[in-house]
Amino acid sequence: MSRPTSRPALVGALLKKELKAYSRDKIYLFLTLLVLIAIPVAYTFLPTTVSETITLAVSPPVTSMIDDAKDSLRAMGATDEQLAELDNADLSQQQEGLQLIEFDNEADMQRVIEGTLEAWRTDDGELTLRDKEAGEDEPEGAEKLGLDIGIAFPKDFITDVAAGKSGVTVTVYSDANVPEEIQGAMTSFVREAAYQLAGRQLPVNMADEQSIILGTDRVGDQVTLKDKLRPMLLFMVLLMETFSMASLVSTEVLQRTVTAVLVTPVKIGDFLLAKTIFGTFMSLGQGLLVLFLVGGLTVQNWSLVLTVLFMGSVMFTGLALYVGASGKDFMGQLFYTMLFTIPLLIPAFSVMFPGSAAVWVRAIPTYPIIDTLVGAFNYGATWSSSAGSLAYAAAWLVLLFGAGLFALKRKVETL
Amino acid sequence: MTAPAIQVESISFNYGDIQAVKNVTFDVQPGEILGFLGPNGAGKSTTIKMLTGQMAPKSGVARILGKDITADDPEIQAQIGVCFEEKNLYLNMSGLENLDFFASLFGIKDADSMEVLRRVGLADRAKDRVHSYSKGMRQRMMISRAFINKPTVLFLDEPTDGLDPVTSAAIRKTIKEEAERGAAVLLTTHDMFEADELSDRVAFINEGEIVALDTAENLKLKYGKRSVKVRLRDGDGVREEHIELEGDGSSARLAELAASPDLMTIHTEEATLEAIFIELTGRGLEG
Repeated sequence: MSRPTSRPALVGALLKKELKAYSRDKIYLFLTLLVLIAIPVAYTFLPTTVSETITLAVSPPVTSMIDDAKDSLRAMGATDEQLAELDNADLSQQQEGLQLIEFDNEADMQRVIEGTLEAWRTDDGELTLRDKEAGEDEPEGAEKLGLDIGIAFPKDFITDVAAGKSGVTVTVYSDANVPEEIQGAMTSFVREAAYQLAGRQLPVNMADEQSIILGTDRVGDQVTLKDKLRPMLLFMVLLMETFSMASLVSTEVLQRTVTAVLVTPVKIGDFLLAKTIFGTFMSLGQGLLVLFLVGGLTVQNWSLVLTVLFMGSVMFTGLALYVGASGKDFMGQLFYTMLFTIPLLIPAFSVMFPGSAAVWVRAIPTYPIIDTLVGAFNYGATWSSSAGSLAYAAAWLVLLFGAGLFALKRKVETL
Repeated sequence: MTAPAIQVESISFNYGDIQAVKNVTFDVQPGEILGFLGPNGAGKSTTIKMLTGQMAPKSGVARILGKDITADDPEIQAQIGVCFEEKNLYLNMSGLENLDFFASLFGIKDADSMEVLRRVGLADRAKDRVHSYSKGMRQRMMISRAFINKPTVLFLDEPTDGLDPVTSAAIRKTIKEEAERGAAVLLTTHDMFEADELSDRVAFINEGEIVALDTAENLKLKYGKRSVKVRLRDGDGVREEHIELEGDGSSARLAELAASPDLMTIHTEEATLEAIFIELTGRGLEG
């Protein structure tokens, strides 16, 4: 005979059933194992060092520019001592941190930057150009160069700036894919290069320098790709878990098993609570496991990392409830999951490009979570320094989770 | 007379502009089976949804075991068993696991799920996952799930719909057993034979309204013809004769035919429930 059941006992029974349903589904199991194995393995192979060398195209070659300038400057009355300073300003001789690829022809450099011409460097350092569209073969024993940005100086640049001539124009060529901030950095670089040549601020005409935030000067102490990617790997776990959870919810709704459950002493609140607990702890558990495997629990402020991971788990569970209530079949499920989660992943990708967190990226609900994780993982963020982000994340969490609960409750009530 | 287990007074429900149930009133006593007979879309399932707490009536009052269903009282839910029209079982769980899970929701610690499965003939497949069950087996699972808490009130929505005669007969047998145990049963169906065989009383529902409510016997007497059909040998063929029992001289004619050496069969011509339904509503039960 049945007897009154306590609410915790009902939720416990529902959780037991959720675990059984989860463990019986091959797709969920496959996705879970895939994430738990693939992410730590991928992490292991990520580079642990950072190349601090900048590769830059320049035309004409700096040495020829200096040689040409010497005669003119001598004619203008420059002393041998002053001319020797020009050699010190030869950027092509400075190996550390800068690799110049010098082009005789500005048009060629422009085509290489555009991608209509390929630049290759042979073992002996010779630059070879290949017109792929014209059917030219790849040069043997040569390495293809990836050039996204180049600087074209006027032929008489040094002489003109030394003479104090106004209206000298330096052109910075940049591939469309290069972020605006990097283009701005290059502009600053040209300004600095010109300053080095002339020894003073020059009246060089260039686009106004962009205002960019470079953050802490970490020369020699760069954050490796491995470290940068940790928050994104964590988000991949949450993404997969969102899909699995949404599928569980959707199955329950589409097969109307929820209706059978709700004509027992179970209330809709018990049902939603069980889904929330299960979704959150599955995400959190897997997130913790991945964190452990990628060394994320050894960071100084690990309690902050755990708190943020918990908030992310609840947020994504809310999303799963919403998606689960919306999807009508497996494909619909996949569509809605992608529709909602891909935008939420953008902040995780943005951490790979310092300074690229535009205002619209900061407006994405997951940004404060990623921001706090990046801070805790890589920059020693503390509770007090992360308070703003945590409050912002909490506001988004309440909104998204509330939307998920509301959508599922309404769906179940109208079945 | 005992208090009704189900007591419904003028309940109504509408989906937007569509009036699904209109001022429906009836009651079901403990141990009684009330057959809710009507075509698809007549309002049978909506009535069950209201009585099981899945949706609230827009007007009227309904009580289960004396308690208002809108009170959302877990005590009511603990006493009811529901067999839905959709086979909403957990397909990735076995039959036994399905029953054990629902038993746990009713707070039944030592549920004899195996015995319940045995009653519906599924004991030998108890540990197989439900997705491997046939349609008939799933329907028997639905019935067994409705029985797991030994309910005082049973709502059975089209329990034998689309099943073969053998499975249907087995399910009807278990429904009768539940009523004999004392459960009040509200059975919706559009199968007149099922309603006739199982129901103590029958309610005809059409376009959301109850158009007749009585025992099947009374309905047949009230709306059917009192006549017999006599079949007689006629040379190499067969001849039929219909005799109105209330007409003058009908008894003498019947006695005469009964004594005839050509007599083959005599059948009463009472109305079927479907014929009465058509007479009352102008439409059939399969619509």
